[in-house]
Amino acid sequence: MNSTEVLSHTDLSGPGGGGNPAQICLGCGTCASACPMTGIEGFDPRRIVRLGQLGRFEELGESSLAWLCTMCGRCQEGCPMDVRITDMIREARDLGGEKTVPQAIGKGIEMFMETGNNLGLPDEDFGFIVEDVAEELTEEPGFEDFVLPVDKEDARLLFTLHNKLVNTQNEDLKHWWKILHAAGESWTLPGSRWEGVNWGFFSGQDQVLKAGVDTIVGNMERLRSRGLMYPE
Amino acid sequence: MFDLLVEYISTQRIRLDRDRIKKKAVYHDPCNYGRKSEALFGHGYFHEPRWILNQCLEHWTDMQPNRARQYCCGGGGGLMLTPYEEQRKYYSRRKIEQIKNSRAELVVVPCHSCHGHIRAMLDAQGPASIEVKYLWEVVAEALVMD
Repeated sequence: MNSTEVLSHTDLSGPGGGGNPAQICLGCGTCASACPMTGIEGFDPRRIVRLGQLGRFEELGESSLAWLCTMCGRCQEGCPMDVRITDMIREARDLGGEKTVPQAIGKGIEMFMETGNNLGLPDEDFGFIVEDVAEELTEEPGFEDFVLPVDKEDARLLFTLHNKLVNTQNEDLKHWWKILHAAGESWTLPGSRWEGVNWGFFSGQDQVLKAGVDTIVGNMERLRSRGLMYPE
Repeated sequence: MFDLLVEYISTQRIRLDRDRIKKKAVYHDPCNYGRKSEALFGHGYFHEPRWILNQCLEHWTDMQPNRARQYCCGGGGGLMLTPYEEQRKYYSRRKIEQIKNSRAELVVVPCHSCHGHIRAMLDAQGPASIEVKYLWEVVAEALVMD
């Protein structure tokens, strides 16, 4: 019997639906050995699984365990029972509530819900920044005829951006632009709601995650883009 | 992103010069593109970035361990954004050790989060002289324009 079959035979209540996966833990400690955070201020993936077994997800979300974890997944890579520890962490973060979400992430999410990007950058400023970098690029040999496609309809690819590229690391916008130009690609940047970083993934809030996806899909529909390039 | 770069290179929509970047590089597998992608979608992007690097540079190596067993850089979820900055820095010592052991002068990553975190960790505790570049930055630098 493999671990998936064990799960289907396990009928215990718990978050995530279909039973509480933590119940199938054998207590072998493989996760603790695999995790680079083990031992740092009492961190141990087995404590996470135990709280899950006891159904104390809310408590897990309020503890430092939930946010010390980087969700790298090394614990479950080695787990012989396929206990989904990072799924538990994500669920616990959501149940921990908004007050437990680190301030900077909470602020970014608030900004995203209000303005469509995590920085709260107005579209006009965004346009100014990207056009400025595009103009700089035309000064480099081989890119003299580069034109930044913003809100171009019927392109093959819609590009989202990591907010740090329009914040402090503008120079790093150029790498992909150069490649796309050299390849003669049909692509576009959305002039509005360009954010590619979805912090709902980290905070465990599915409604934020969905709002991020809706933004991208909305742009693809509006501009009739055929594909998505999502480099985050 | 990997698929697009592989498409451009293999169909010769872009041409690359392997002799421009002289530094010895080392590749870092981001958790989300490798281990977690493999677990969630049945395909981890382990082979593609290595093939792309082969087209861009002469000298590069892997960290130990690598691919699905790679260590997280420590930046998952954004280090600077949680109240556990010191703990995440301590966690990252393993990544720094891996980089030092590779004797590379350049770390190549295909992830914005890993890039920012590894740069910050090298500045804080490792040899700050080691460069960190995006995989697509390396491709852009090797581009041959007619």
